[in-house]
Amino acid sequence: MWQALHEEIDPLGATVVTVALDVDPAKARPWIERASPTHPSLVDVEHRVDDLFGISNVPMAVWIDESGTLVRPAEAASIRPSPYAAIEITDRMPARMQQVLAEMRNLPDTGEAYRAAILDWARHGADSRFALAPDAVIAASRPRPIEHSRAAACFELGRHAHERGDDDAAIGWWKRAHALFPENWTYKRQAWTLVSTPEGADSDKAQEVQDVYGTSWSDEFLAVGGAGYTVTPDL
Amino acid sequence: MLLHHLTVPATEFRDGTGWDAKPEGMCKGDVCVPVPGASAADGMLDVGRVADRLGMALEEDPAAGVWALGPESGGHALTTAVAPELELPDVDGNPFRLSAMHGRKVLLVAWASW
Repeated sequence: MWQALHEEIDPLGATVVTVALDVDPAKARPWIERASPTHPSLVDVEHRVDDLFGISNVPMAVWIDESGTLVRPAEAASIRPSPYAAIEITDRMPARMQQVLAEMRNLPDTGEAYRAAILDWARHGADSRFALAPDAVIAASRPRPIEHSRAAACFELGRHAHERGDDDAAIGWWKRAHALFPENWTYKRQAWTLVSTPEGADSDKAQEVQDVYGTSWSDEFLAVGGAGYTVTPDL
Repeated sequence: MLLHHLTVPATEFRDGTGWDAKPEGMCKGDVCVPVPGASAADGMLDVGRVADRLGMALEEDPAAGVWALGPESGGHALTTAVAPELELPDVDGNPFRLSAMHGRKVLLVAWASW
C-alpha cells in the first residue's frame, strides 16, 4: 500500500518513509519483505517517533517539507476507504464481534480525503491548502502533560527489560506507561501483542490479555469508541 | 532515551532527544531555553538540570541500573515545527538519517506488525 503511494508521489518530489514500531525487528521483517519497498523502510524499537512527533497509534503520519519543516502534525494515516461500512453484522456472529464491528463503523473514514490531500501537497508543496504554517502545526499537535513524558520513560524502561529477557519487569513498566498515557495505543498494543501472540505465529491482533494486563484490545476499543481510537485528520 | 549515567556528552543527548547544548541554552530547532549550570566546559551535560527545566520525566530502574528520560512536556507534542534529526536502522541494521531527505517532501508513516 505505501509502496504504491510512494511510486505515485516519487516523480512529484515526495518520498514515503515508513517506520515500524516493533520492539522485536524480526516481527516487522516479513511485512517489509512482502512489500519490497524502494522507499526508506526503517525500524524504531524504542518508539522514538512517539517522543519526537507525537505518534500515538498506527497508522499515523507526519508531513515534512523540502527544508525539513513539519507541515502537518501526527494524525491518522489511512489512505483507503474504511472497509467496515460494507461488512454485514449478523446475529450469527459472537456478540462481542458484533459490538466491535458496529463500533468500527465509527472510526473516522478519512482515507480517501487524506490520500487526496497527500497528492495535492506532493504536487503543490507550500501552496497546498493542506500544508500548515509552523505555528499551526505546533498548535495542532496534541497537548503533552508531564504524565505523557513519564509514560515514555516507563515504556523505554520496559523495552530495556524486555531486551534483557526480563519480561516480568517489562510488564510492570508497561502497565505504568499505559496508566500514565492511556491514549497512546502504541504502548498498549505493543505490550499486549507480546503476551498474546503464540511463539512463531503472526502478531495477534485480538490481544486478549486479561490474565496479565487485566484487559483486552476489544475492551479498550469499545471503551473509547471508534471516534476516540485515533487522531482524526482535520482536512 | 536510556541513560546509564546522569551526566552525558551533549552530543549523545542531542542525538537522543533533539535538544542541542548551545551558548544561549538548550535548543531544538528554532526554540532555545536557558538552563543555567547544565553544560560543563568539557562538553558534558547535567541531565537532571535539563530534565527539570524542560519537563522531561526521569524514571529510574534501580534493579537494572539505568534511567530513562521522557520527552519535553508542558506544551504540545511538537515544541518546534523544525523536524529533528532522526537516525534509525532499516531491518538489516543499515543506518538511515532523515536529513538525507532534505530537498524532498517526506511522508513519514508509522506502522507496526501488531
